[in-house]
Amino acid sequence: MNRSIKSVLANQIPLLTLIGLVVMVGIIDPSFLNFQTLMVLTSDTMTLFLMAAGATFVILMGGIDLSVQAVASMTSVIVAFLLPELGFLAVPVAVAAGGIAGLAGGVSHTLLRIPSFISTLAIGGVVTAVAFVMSDARSINISGDMRDAHLFWLVGETLGVKNEVWVGLVLLAVLAFVQLRTPFGRLVRAIGAGERAVIASGIPVDRIKAMAFTLSGATAGFSGAMMAARLGSGSPTLANEFLLPAIAAIILGGTALTGGAGGVWRTFIGALIIAVVRIGMTFLGVSVFAQQIVFGVALVVAVAATIDRSRIQIVK
Amino acid sequence: MTAVLEVRNATKSFPGVKALDDVSLEIRKNEVVGLIGENGAGKSTLLKILNGVYQAESGDIRINGKPARIKGPRDAFDRGIAMVFQEQSILPVLTVAENIFLGRETEFMRWGVLDKAAMNRAAKVELEKVHLDISPSAICDDLTFADRQMVEIAKAISLDTRIDGDIVVLLDEPTSVLESKEIDVLFRIVEELKDRAAFVFISHRIDEVLRLCNRVYVMRDGKVVSETPSSDVSISRLHELMVGRALHHEYYREAKQGDPQPEVAMEAVGLCSRTGFRNVSFELRKGEILGIAGVIGSGREALARCLAGLAPIDSGTLKIGGEAKSFKGPSEAVATGIGYLPRERRTEGVVTGAPVVENMTMPALEEFSSVGIIQRARERSVAQDWIEKLSVKTPSQDTLAGSLSGGNQQKVVLSKWRIAGSHIVVLDHPTRGIDVGAKEDVYELIRGMTAEGLSIVLLADTLEEVIGLSHKIIVMRDGEESARFDAAPGAKPSQVDLIAHMV
Repeated sequence: MNRSIKSVLANQIPLLTLIGLVVMVGIIDPSFLNFQTLMVLTSDTMTLFLMAAGATFVILMGGIDLSVQAVASMTSVIVAFLLPELGFLAVPVAVAAGGIAGLAGGVSHTLLRIPSFISTLAIGGVVTAVAFVMSDARSINISGDMRDAHLFWLVGETLGVKNEVWVGLVLLAVLAFVQLRTPFGRLVRAIGAGERAVIASGIPVDRIKAMAFTLSGATAGFSGAMMAARLGSGSPTLANEFLLPAIAAIILGGTALTGGAGGVWRTFIGALIIAVVRIGMTFLGVSVFAQQIVFGVALVVAVAATIDRSRIQIVK
Repeated sequence: MTAVLEVRNATKSFPGVKALDDVSLEIRKNEVVGLIGENGAGKSTLLKILNGVYQAESGDIRINGKPARIKGPRDAFDRGIAMVFQEQSILPVLTVAENIFLGRETEFMRWGVLDKAAMNRAAKVELEKVHLDISPSAICDDLTFADRQMVEIAKAISLDTRIDGDIVVLLDEPTSVLESKEIDVLFRIVEELKDRAAFVFISHRIDEVLRLCNRVYVMRDGKVVSETPSSDVSISRLHELMVGRALHHEYYREAKQGDPQPEVAMEAVGLCSRTGFRNVSFELRKGEILGIAGVIGSGREALARCLAGLAPIDSGTLKIGGEAKSFKGPSEAVATGIGYLPRERRTEGVVTGAPVVENMTMPALEEFSSVGIIQRARERSVAQDWIEKLSVKTPSQDTLAGSLSGGNQQKVVLSKWRIAGSHIVVLDHPTRGIDVGAKEDVYELIRGMTAEGLSIVLLADTLEEVIGLSHKIIVMRDGEESARFDAAPGAKPSQVDLIAHMV
């Protein structure tokens, strides 16, 4: 086979995997392959995609953000809490709060020179505590009226397509543009591919890093708002189970854990793979509680398969 | 007589350069073999193959006439081959004794516990062999650089108590950081051990090599160009063999060494940095090349990094275009028009995983953007211009910089600073590890830059290079300026003049 065709195919493994999985589940249960089911699946996936979308930039840069699920839980509380007073403006406030949490993780990572997995793990703890204090450790309900009045744009339906999907697609387009066409997006990838050379080129690397973590926190914050809208409540533990699937979506989509290669549309594919696997397991009768086993294993296998480990001598 | 260690027809490539090309070398019993050549000639690579750090792509190794595959440094050690590295392999957090017996702790186990007292006693014996009077329980980080080097040597020759047969000790430039007293000690050790061991000795000082060695191999551009008994050859002849030609001025484009312009681009007054230098002052004019010479640890590397904003200047004044500046980081240095071509091309020079075009426009990315969006057409046309102007050999702009040859990577880095509009460029070993032809290209580009009024601070790979290219040369020793030479065309100082102030 021609080498360029081969490398194009290798590049598209996640997409081919997704198509293969959809076909497989379709064979097991033909009712899966209709527009309504696929639409529900896609709209259900969007909260996961949003949570992982910004974090993709962090991983592309060679870092990691372990606070996304905590940030999303906190912003679900913020939305539920502020909706009666602020109306739909509660959502931008939630996004901003997520951004601030992300910035805190990024700044403590760059300014204090501590690894990002520690700084974001710690900030995740802080954020969780804030959510517990704010909600008094309870879940806060959003009334149906409130939701219809202020959050319809997040959970309603337009032109026969769920609004979650529209919102997800718009965000995908915007973030893909940022990644491919702005200095920030390009430098994020360059930092992942060779940080020392980027520093020596005079790029303010710390500022770019802080921006990436802020973006990660902001999309996680948005994801929390969407979750609150969908579930009709906010809770400090709402997104607890989402960290592993979010990281898995990024890696299964084909963004290298070492940074330097990948992208946000890949995370979109990765999130859909996670969703289809989840549905498939449900069809096969695998307990919901056991599903994290599959994601954990898939994550390890995907990382092992994508990193050229012969060139890495030391793993920390 | 069979050789104790022999390598035949070895070939080894690194990305962008053929480091060894069909190299054969033999080491006979009780012999000291000298290995000389310019930087990048392949000497260290050859020793690392003998020591198992690298595997040759083709060719074979024989020990006592029998073919052998050396799997790694530990395997080499077990077969009686030890190496003293140019970059020290001593672990600073461990004690002297722990370093000497690193990987051999099982020899000192009693009841499953390490017998530190026994290890320290054994280390004392090894230290006595190298006439080093320090405690075996001292932490290596607290030792002087030279003492650490002696510990390194002690570690290598500790082999003789372990292996019954012949041993081979590979010494990769052990003397460049040693004082003459310690060099004498090293030479005495070599003499004392000669009945048990054979040595391979790399040094830049040809006189040392002739003094110590029985035979000398000369390497150039990855090949062995000569093998001769040291009694039959003169210093000047060896030098000629090393560089491959009698010294000839056109190699460094001396005819193109124009006069600098009167305007001062950069002025340093009493610069000090705790990273390794004190009291450095100079004036760099437009169109001028300032060469800085010195051995490892002389402070010249630290100076280059401070000028590029990569390390802090603690006191003194640095003026760019007449204005005093202090850099908090490289971005501020770049903003004032300073570009830096780092010594480590593949980690600091280019982002190997990014395309050529992205490398070239990186520092000026904001200028290629309007309303926050990169203007790709403009970016690509500028990159194409420079690819043509500097004749960068690359399949396309989108080729990953890491897949280019070393010389072309350097051209990408130079283009980067030309595109950013830098008017002062710090060149830290611009020709390190690149092929001969590519070196000449780089010299031509450097001359071209000065003709356009750019100013250059040059840390060269060889003395010949710094002399050939520079308008003036500062020699550094122990962190301070030790001499200063004018180097006008036709009135260049000699290497001996420089060396006298380097060591």
